[in-house]
Amino acid sequence: MNRTTTIRSGAAAAGRFFRELGCSLARGCRKFFSNTKTIVGFSIIVFFILVAVFGPLIFPYDPSTDMANAYLMPSWEHPFGTDWLGRDVFRQVIAGTGSVLEVAFYSAVFTVVIGTVLGIVSGYLGGWVDKVIMAVTNIFLSIPSFPIYLLLAAIVTINTPVSLAVIISIWSWAGLCRAVRVQIMSLKERDFIQICTVMHMSKAHIIFKELLPNVFSYVAINFVMAMRNAIMASVGIMLVGLAAYDPTNWGAIINAARTKGLMNVKNIYILLYPLVCIIIFQISTLLLANGLDETLNPRLKVM
Amino acid sequence: MQTNRDNIAVFSHVSIDYPLKKYTLRAVTDITFELKRGAITALVGESGSGKTTLASSLIRCISEPGRVAEGEITFYGKDGEERLDLLPDPKMRAFRWSKVSMVFQAAQSALNPVLTVREQFTETLEAHGEKLSKEEREAKFSDLLGYVKLDAERVLASYPHELSGGMKQRVMIAFALLLDPELIILDEPTTALDVITQNYIFTLLKQINREKGISMLLMTHDISVVAKFADYVGVMYGGRLMEYGDVRTVFHRRRHPYTAGLIGATPSIIGDISEMKPIEGSPPDLLHLPKGCIFAPRCPRCSDVCLTEEPPMREYGDGSKGKCYFFGEADDGKGN
Amino acid sequence: MQATTAARPRGKRFLAALGAFFQKYSYFFAKIGISVLTLALSVIALFFLLRMIPGDIVELYALKLQNQQGITFDRAYELAAQLLNYDPNENVFQAFVRYIGGLFRGELGTSYLETGVSANSLIATRLPWTLFISSVSLFLSFFIGIAVGGYVAQKRNGVANKVASGFIAVSGSVPDYLVALLLVIVFAYQLKWFPAQNNYDAFSVTPGFNLPFIGSVLYYAFLPILSYTIVQTGNWILHMRGSCIGVLGEDYILAARARGLSERTIRTKYMKKNALLPLITQFGVSFGALFGGATLMESIFNYPGIGLEISNRIISKDYMVVQGLIFFSAAMVILVNLVVDLIYPLVDPRVRKG
Repeated sequence: MNRTTTIRSGAAAAGRFFRELGCSLARGCRKFFSNTKTIVGFSIIVFFILVAVFGPLIFPYDPSTDMANAYLMPSWEHPFGTDWLGRDVFRQVIAGTGSVLEVAFYSAVFTVVIGTVLGIVSGYLGGWVDKVIMAVTNIFLSIPSFPIYLLLAAIVTINTPVSLAVIISIWSWAGLCRAVRVQIMSLKERDFIQICTVMHMSKAHIIFKELLPNVFSYVAINFVMAMRNAIMASVGIMLVGLAAYDPTNWGAIINAARTKGLMNVKNIYILLYPLVCIIIFQISTLLLANGLDETLNPRLKVM
Repeated sequence: MQTNRDNIAVFSHVSIDYPLKKYTLRAVTDITFELKRGAITALVGESGSGKTTLASSLIRCISEPGRVAEGEITFYGKDGEERLDLLPDPKMRAFRWSKVSMVFQAAQSALNPVLTVREQFTETLEAHGEKLSKEEREAKFSDLLGYVKLDAERVLASYPHELSGGMKQRVMIAFALLLDPELIILDEPTTALDVITQNYIFTLLKQINREKGISMLLMTHDISVVAKFADYVGVMYGGRLMEYGDVRTVFHRRRHPYTAGLIGATPSIIGDISEMKPIEGSPPDLLHLPKGCIFAPRCPRCSDVCLTEEPPMREYGDGSKGKCYFFGEADDGKGN
Repeated sequence: MQATTAARPRGKRFLAALGAFFQKYSYFFAKIGISVLTLALSVIALFFLLRMIPGDIVELYALKLQNQQGITFDRAYELAAQLLNYDPNENVFQAFVRYIGGLFRGELGTSYLETGVSANSLIATRLPWTLFISSVSLFLSFFIGIAVGGYVAQKRNGVANKVASGFIAVSGSVPDYLVALLLVIVFAYQLKWFPAQNNYDAFSVTPGFNLPFIGSVLYYAFLPILSYTIVQTGNWILHMRGSCIGVLGEDYILAARARGLSERTIRTKYMKKNALLPLITQFGVSFGALFGGATLMESIFNYPGIGLEISNRIISKDYMVVQGLIFFSAAMVILVNLVVDLIYPLVDPRVRKG
């Protein structure tokens, strides 16, 4: 009897917990999706993710050559036509979606983690730690990033999305780090952090429980922006012919079409498909970033 | 006409609208009152009561997209009367500052940070077509700044951020006198300043009022400032003028429940803090105004009639007037 | 004795004057100091990046020299190490000292692929073209951007603002090199209106100050400048519009209107002057982005600037030259940012005495 009541009350508590969790999630989602830009941007990104996951299962890509069917115009069978080796461009683009998204995602994770952690540490601790981190940040901001991407891509053999992402994020965290530092420095002056300091709370507590949640929305927006930059950089690196580990990556398709296009202009049209995909994806990330910005920083909406 | 000599400006049934995307917000509703020539008239009310909007309508500087929707605003200046609500834009531009100037709430941000005080004084003179020689101009500036007890040479060459808050407010006062206006609007001129500087500024303003005979319209939420400084007072609530009269009458008799509440909510240095009674409830939401008297939900004297129909403005005979069914009934001598 | 007492106060006075001098210009010295430090740290970073390169470059070069000049391998190796300013047998510190010594002598790096070619000679011939393209498009997009941005900020509900927003969204989403690629496809490959390589028509014009040459240079530079400008303009419109909207909400705009100033004065002296200040710092950042982006842009247009040189030589593994060119690019970016920082207090009085 006693046990059953405990279980019953435990179940009730759990039910309440999940109901509350559901409510707050629902509230968060409603707030999140109250913005048209967010909805549109988010839906397009979800669409690309679905294509990346299920696309290759429905439309598997066959890399074998079929010279008889080279340079076919778009048709029902080959919606985007075929390339100089008679391979289906539509299936190539679908196969490349995952590759592009992977690099973007990993780079964004690395960039945001490095930039946020160093920015918070630098802004919160101040003193010589701040000076050292800022000096390092200045180097990364001063040396033009693109040549370095190329140099690193040439030095290190890139054969996985993760290695490409590492190279991109090594040279792209600095801007975020500096911006987070400024935010932290202004937060530090605010009363609630001052109170924590007076109450002798541990630095770890202040950083993770007080400062991090307050820059979270800013970091979330920058995650999306980091994805944008990673796509720009990764496609650019492939466009020069480096990091050619995946010939179906949009950047690799564009590069191949471009170089072949010098011989036969027909190839040029092939690169339009991945190019349009990149543009649509980049617009959707911009919409998502702007939408999040409007929802999370409402003061901007007033202006 | 008698009003021409007595009044510097008259608002008659003025309403001001903010047409927004989905609805229109009426910030000021049907206000009729006059600014006495040579006197200091105060407008008191909580923030959002429409006092700044009303005063800004004198120089058509209501923040966008506000517009005077109804009513007449007439200015009786030395050069004849002007209908301010009908004045075409170029004429309004010439009218601003030369007839009605303004001292802003935040002097800090009312000056352009990238121009020196001299540049801003000069460009204002030039905008009004004043053709003075360099010497005359400098003499005028030194005169004005000397009047507000500032070191003219240093201040003129300074950028706004190089001056202290009190100095900036004095610069703004000197600035307001630049074109010898007939009326100065004071928009909470001392909120950002410490008490000693506040007193100094008000003494200075009173001196300008008495010596130069410039009329003033003061907007504030500080009852004690009104009591010390103003000659007439209008009490605003939710975009309506609740009571108007000379300061002594209004404050001593406390005929309107809202005025009484405002005075009751003001802490006094001598009295006990327990005597301080805040007005219960919160200021009205201009989009969802209550039916009847808009103060009724917070009014201690509220009765049935207050909830159904808005009370009319009643003249009280001694020059004061109020918007309340019980206007005058609270006048039981306890206000002394 | 007398001389020392006379000299001491003079010395003191000199020190005091020097101190006051440094204090007065502390802002400038701090900025210059940070730039020098950043440059020094960049040198170190690039040096260690170079040490990461797998394979022995000196050996490759020595083998090449041996074949070319018919000398012994040891002699060739010595010569190669000397020419490349690099010797893997040294410890890191010695190598670094040698490398720095080379930099101080103004030797940025020698090619081991082509004799007689060095980073210095490449900079001399290629830099003007990169600077030409990037500065023209930077200024062009800057002026168009602030004009449009300032205009749409005042008419926020107008059609112009909607068009501008659309343009910003699209131009901000398309990587600049893809715009370049599209332009090349349409106007160079397809319509054949513009050339797809080189900086001028080497067959029909002679370099110099003559009309055909200048015309040819402009003709060949048209597409690169256009693609940079398209992408950068959206950026400037966005920044200027945001800055202007912020300024328009300030009290001093209302105060200026209350003072009876004309709308034109308010627009120029009040809105634009204040709104431009934060954009000046953006200028340095933008220049850096252009300089870095040139690597890809120039390889798409086959435009012989420093960027094309960097990307070609990275692919052909001519790392010494690449290192020199990247170091030089970093120095340029640091210099431009320094100039921007030093100019800034002249236009913003608030920083002048800070």
